[in-house]
Amino acid sequence: MSNIPRGIRRGLFGVSLPVYALLYLPLSVIAIFSFAPSLHHPGVNLAAYGELFNDATVLAALRRSITLAFGSAILGTALGTLMGFGLSRFRPAKGGGFWVGALPSLIIYTPIIMPSLVFGISELIFFNLVHEYTGLLSAGLLTMGIAHVTFQSPYVALVVYARLTGLDPNLFEASHDLYANPIKSFLYLTIPVVRPALIGGFLLAITLSIDDFTISFFTAGPGSVTLPIYIYSAIARKGSSPEINALGSLMIATVIGVALLYYFVTRRQQQRSRQIPAVA
Amino acid sequence: MSTMVQSEARSRAWRLWLTSGPGLFWIILFLLLPSGIMLGIAFFTNSDFGSPVLPLSLSSFSQVAGFGILGWTSANFTVLIRSLLQAGIATTMTILLAYPLVFFIVSRPANLRPVLLLFAIVPSWTNQVVRTYAWMQLLNPFAPVSHLAQSLGLIPPHLGLMPGNFAVFIGLTYNYLPYMVVPLYAAVEKLDWTLVEAGRDLYASGPKLFFNAVFPQTVPGLLSGIILVGIPAFGDYVVPQLLGGDKAMMLGSLIASQFTFSPDWPYGAALTIIMLVFTCIGLVVFRRLTQRLGGGEGAML
Repeated sequence: MSNIPRGIRRGLFGVSLPVYALLYLPLSVIAIFSFAPSLHHPGVNLAAYGELFNDATVLAALRRSITLAFGSAILGTALGTLMGFGLSRFRPAKGGGFWVGALPSLIIYTPIIMPSLVFGISELIFFNLVHEYTGLLSAGLLTMGIAHVTFQSPYVALVVYARLTGLDPNLFEASHDLYANPIKSFLYLTIPVVRPALIGGFLLAITLSIDDFTISFFTAGPGSVTLPIYIYSAIARKGSSPEINALGSLMIATVIGVALLYYFVTRRQQQRSRQIPAVA
Repeated sequence: MSTMVQSEARSRAWRLWLTSGPGLFWIILFLLLPSGIMLGIAFFTNSDFGSPVLPLSLSSFSQVAGFGILGWTSANFTVLIRSLLQAGIATTMTILLAYPLVFFIVSRPANLRPVLLLFAIVPSWTNQVVRTYAWMQLLNPFAPVSHLAQSLGLIPPHLGLMPGNFAVFIGLTYNYLPYMVVPLYAAVEKLDWTLVEAGRDLYASGPKLFFNAVFPQTVPGLLSGIILVGIPAFGDYVVPQLLGGDKAMMLGSLIASQFTFSPDWPYGAALTIIMLVFTCIGLVVFRRLTQRLGGGEGAML
């Protein structure tokens, strides 16, 4: 912005460059160490990656992580989308009292604002008690999935809600006037309109699931070691190792890939929403 | 007429619960109910196996306050104060780093800004364990950074920068910096620059211009940032666990160990209540401040 004097702009650049470097330094250290087994033995060495792909434990953990991420993201996106849709469409614009107005927001924000440790330990106790008294829900991928859906759906709801509040309410009136029943207007109006938010929300849900450690750690059972838990216990056992660095690099690469995909999807959505008024 | 309005309102409410109901019910069943149970468990007595048993008692709270078989210790207070301090210092550091970064992004052409912002956020989307593990490698006794600190006499020889309080501070700052950048950027992006112009016309410059014309406009973003960084940093588990060691223990590790190594559920639950109380105090204080300063959040749900 031209309002910032030139000298200050240079200063900002000078301070920001090291901050960016600092943000990527640790990630690059993992990537570099994954190729060169140690600081004192430089050179490119793919041995760690080979070891990784032959390690049955790692592959099983990867499979569980993917199952968990996709399974929970599908349900989390479905529940989150319905929440975002319902709150933006059927909640009175002003007030609505405590039960309709404030309570749903309060419930949706709880998983977001609650410290993950409190979240995870609450679930640990709850699943333990349920298992003790009913025999259901023994700790494993299922309990982890339930916990993941609980923290994913509010984020998806926020994304979908943000998309729908920017929308002209007359569109829904129009579809009603054209004799579309609620189910038809949901399928042919709401779904196409929220599709970018839906895809964005789904990718966000997957990222959240892969990113989470604390909640997974406390809801996992002995047979449901996912990648983050595997890495954590490997670090606790033997400190750093080239194999863990290789695994870390692959996870970082995946997340950066998903992040870029998410960015491009939402950017296209923004561009399209900018185009709508121009067409109309 | 009024009956029609009433039935209209009723049908809206019905549809609201039909669409939002399942998700809300899910969160109530799998988060609100479990945390309620956990709060209740704090009032039970610990059995020999760490699980809660009757009778109801307040013994876990006296344990939290530091009273044990061996008399009173200040260990828990130390951990609590340390957690608050670490969260406070890390939040301050993220503010100091985020301000120049955010103004740098805004000073670039509009089409570059989203990319620059994205680059600042992406590291936070990688797994927290991986991120923290990276700092373990950077700060361990054999790493170049530690050698440098050793030769400068900042730390005794043969010791690394981790484990310890300093490493926890670095880890927390690194982990939560993007959570400060995002709300601050949102505030700075819609800054009213005409106020800055006006200030300049009135011969204000430098720090005076910044603190009177720019800073007040960024306060709502700053407050959200403080909530988004301070609360999770205070309750963090991974960073103090991997970078801290015994002498830098934070509340998160203390709570977790009551559920893992030496189970004592009622004591752990009582400690969790302490964490929740401080979280809520932080939330309410900053919420009030935001409201008083007139920070409206338009797209808030």
